[in-house]
Amino acid sequence: MGVIRAQPARATDWAAKSVGAAWRAFDLQLTTYAVLLVSVGLVMAYTNSVEDGAVPLEAGTTFSRGLMWAAIAAIVFALATTFDYHWLKTLAWPIYAVQLGLLVLTLLIGDGIGGAARWIEIGPLTFQFSEIAKILMIVVLASFLTSRGRKLDSLGSILGACILVGPPLALVMLQPDLGTSLVFGAILAGMLWMSGASLRWLAVLAAGVIAMVPVAWTYVLRDYQKERLSSFMNTNPDLQGAGYQLYQAQIAVGSGGALGKGLTNGSQTQGNFLPVQSTDFVFATLAEELGFVGGVVLFVLFVLLLWRVLVAGWRSKDAFGTLFAAGVASMILFQLVVNVGMVLGVMPITGIPLPFVTHGGASLVSMAAGLGIIQSINIRQTRAAW
Amino acid sequence: MTAYLDDRPRPIRHPARFIAFGLVTLLAVSGLTARLFYMQIVDGGRFATLSTRNRTVEEAIPAPRGLIYDRAGRVLVTNVPTYAIKVRPADLPQDQRPQVVERLAALLGIGVTEINASIDSNPGSNFDLVRIASDVNEQTALLISEAGFELPGVEIAVEARRQYTYGPLLSQILGYTGPVSAEQLPGLRPVGYLPDDLLGKTGLEAQYETDLRGIYGAQSVERDATGRRTQVLQTISEPSPGDSLNLTIDTKEQKYADTALKWAMAEVGLKRGVVIVMNPQTGEIVALVSLPTYDNNLFARGISAADYRALVENPDKPLLNHATQAHYPPGSTYKLVAGTGGLADGKIRATTQLATKSYLTLGSTRFYDWNRRGFGACNIYCGFGHSSDTYFFQVAGMLGIDRLGYWANQYGFGNPTGIDLPGEVSGIVPTNQWKQDALGAPIYPGETYHAGIGQGYDVVTPIQLVNAYAALANGGTLYQPQVVHDIVSPDGEVVRPFEPKAIHEMDVPASVLETMRNASRAVVELRHTYNLVELPIKVAGKSGTAEFGTRDEQGRLPFHSWFVGFVPRDPENGSFDEPDSELVVLAFAYDSRTKGNVATEIVKYYLQQHYGIEKDYRLPDLLERGNFYQSN
Repeated sequence: MGVIRAQPARATDWAAKSVGAAWRAFDLQLTTYAVLLVSVGLVMAYTNSVEDGAVPLEAGTTFSRGLMWAAIAAIVFALATTFDYHWLKTLAWPIYAVQLGLLVLTLLIGDGIGGAARWIEIGPLTFQFSEIAKILMIVVLASFLTSRGRKLDSLGSILGACILVGPPLALVMLQPDLGTSLVFGAILAGMLWMSGASLRWLAVLAAGVIAMVPVAWTYVLRDYQKERLSSFMNTNPDLQGAGYQLYQAQIAVGSGGALGKGLTNGSQTQGNFLPVQSTDFVFATLAEELGFVGGVVLFVLFVLLLWRVLVAGWRSKDAFGTLFAAGVASMILFQLVVNVGMVLGVMPITGIPLPFVTHGGASLVSMAAGLGIIQSINIRQTRAAW
Repeated sequence: MTAYLDDRPRPIRHPARFIAFGLVTLLAVSGLTARLFYMQIVDGGRFATLSTRNRTVEEAIPAPRGLIYDRAGRVLVTNVPTYAIKVRPADLPQDQRPQVVERLAALLGIGVTEINASIDSNPGSNFDLVRIASDVNEQTALLISEAGFELPGVEIAVEARRQYTYGPLLSQILGYTGPVSAEQLPGLRPVGYLPDDLLGKTGLEAQYETDLRGIYGAQSVERDATGRRTQVLQTISEPSPGDSLNLTIDTKEQKYADTALKWAMAEVGLKRGVVIVMNPQTGEIVALVSLPTYDNNLFARGISAADYRALVENPDKPLLNHATQAHYPPGSTYKLVAGTGGLADGKIRATTQLATKSYLTLGSTRFYDWNRRGFGACNIYCGFGHSSDTYFFQVAGMLGIDRLGYWANQYGFGNPTGIDLPGEVSGIVPTNQWKQDALGAPIYPGETYHAGIGQGYDVVTPIQLVNAYAALANGGTLYQPQVVHDIVSPDGEVVRPFEPKAIHEMDVPASVLETMRNASRAVVELRHTYNLVELPIKVAGKSGTAEFGTRDEQGRLPFHSWFVGFVPRDPENGSFDEPDSELVVLAFAYDSRTKGNVATEIVKYYLQQHYGIEKDYRLPDLLERGNFYQSN
């Protein structure tokens, strides 16, 4: 693996960096794609607000809350960028403790719909800690795998990573939030893959997971989860029940055509045929109003963003950066595929948000933190040239 | 993570894994793109249709129902806008239903069970509206509208209700409209009826439903997922109002007939009665009163269960049109049949004298005349004029039951007249064949006697009887009685003009009918009908007293009274030689049991009003109640 240069993390290294050099290393493209994706989300929030009959800029509308969260996300992004990511390795254990603490707290005092405890109310805001937990999970896993050094391809690394993911995943399952726990799994898989973990053991792990599916189906999943998971495979779904959302979403998407019905003109959305149109099913509104072209533009933005995240991982001169980028990329890709696939009827219904676009503060803030850390990784690779 | 010796930053770059990751990304996004392409471009049309169907529904625009006018152009029914309360069961959650129904019951003043019954007897699907209350006042509608959030599934509709100008006076003719029933809906849905639609239930409203209804328009309406209408997108077709009916009925004459009948009913304490006024030259019904009756406005407003029950349980059947939907023994009025048949078949001539004793003997049975003294030797004028039973026993005997039946059919008995009112019954004309079929035995000779005087198996509807005398009065043409004169489209064009409809020409020489008309005049002139002859107009006719039911302890039967009279075109100087009468009047009094013939008094009173006769010829003394069966 080429030249290995030991570079202990010392405060003096970072302090010496010039602002100019940092700026040159800052990935403007990555930021641009992220900003564009957030803008798409805001446009969707706007159109949903208008269709709800609200004045978009009035307090409390989806759009005004979206703007507020975008501002918060920008601040978080800036802070994460300036923060030296090397500290995260040092803080890995406390971060892990915080992550578990947040999830336990959510279980204890969380609110949610239908007996689910997912949200924490902080003043007027509700916050989904499991979104933050995903980023914290990536940090913890990256630190752990980095610490494995040359033993990354051993079974111990895989088992260790699994053991670390286990408790948070279980806590999220208990909320119950099947979607987020699946994201945890995806993050784990993506990071192990990129760490160069043994293919043989990964295959064994995958086989084990598949073998667990029937057990989980019987003992772990609740009835409504099973119903949602299976409704996409049902050719003659119960249109008044679990299949309704999906059916209406597909009508929304399909009726959008090549160019869409135009913003704020989505009849499926306007007529409230489509539930949760600003959150999990936001892509249906987008596809209805902006059409195939809008959908493809969104996909291209995601691909470009993922490319920049992977580039940051490739450029990283330490394993932590590479693994962190791998975790973020896995998370974004998984959520994109599952969320959009769900709307398009090729994936089961799980409450997974579409990164950047879905209206939701915690999701956006944690994405901002993730990308901020990526930028932090970017601008701290230039020391060699200095 | 800590305390690891080799904890120095070193890159891990597995190019193959990066490339694999990138490929998976591209593959996944390509898959999504392909799926999106398929849904939006390839299969987009199907979804676009689904989307349009999702939000737009075709809604009917009810057409204004046609109006009804009497022959003088008086408006008999109008459409007035009212509020109706309807429920869409699909939008009413089961767990909230008890509270919602209770709330509605309190607001509307209807019983909880009644509302539940309405919802459960919903003729359409759960997504169709069910009518809970019609003609709700504005205040209540407003209250319900304000409580909208607490009353899910409840909707307020503005619709047109029928307002019958004269109410009970014309109920039996006009009928009423009401909601489509669950039994009717499957048949009506294909022709454009809505589950919460109104339609004619009886009377002319039912008979002329297709003309009155008009053609409903259609509009496409945008709605949201909860089914609320968000906006009207476009009118697909304008509704075209129903045609209007101009009746042959003259409300003024109807009031005269009504007044005359009500007077007698009050005087005697009668429970049921009928008066029919008809133009024998055309078959036009000028007045038709059947009592007791009901107020059709009650139905138009949505009759309460209690009111409806009261009407249905009334033993005198106010919902029944006794003129067309019920048959009764005709009594001596039926002697017209035997007289005409005897003359036409050559069994008797106008001059033939028959002995009228106090009774005839058949085997060991005596058949008594109503007049135990008899009338001596009698010709047809004497026999018909005095209504001699023994005279007509003999004529009936000469004819035999089947010939008697033939002549009854010639006068239209035994078949519905075809009057344009629903539910007409046909009565019974006994013949050998009929009795064999119905009772499995031949007619006995005594039964032929009774049939000759209208006391046997024969039963007739008042409309048949008035039509038979109309045929006598017009020289032998049996017309189909008509209540609707012509039908006019909304723009004033006559869609269906009036046309007298002859059912058939009687197979009888004109002279026979002339003889029977003069025999009818003899009834009046011989004072069989007391002072009817004193009227300043010429009336011919026949009275009838028909026993029915069971004998009292003195062996006497209760009886109905009939009178059918007609007046020549020139009421003062005309003669009954000419078949030119334009006025036949029938009165029927059910279970009258009066000293004199109450029906004659009713006709007399009607004629006094009709001709504006100042002097009152009525004889209230004759209306004394009591079972005095002595006058036919």
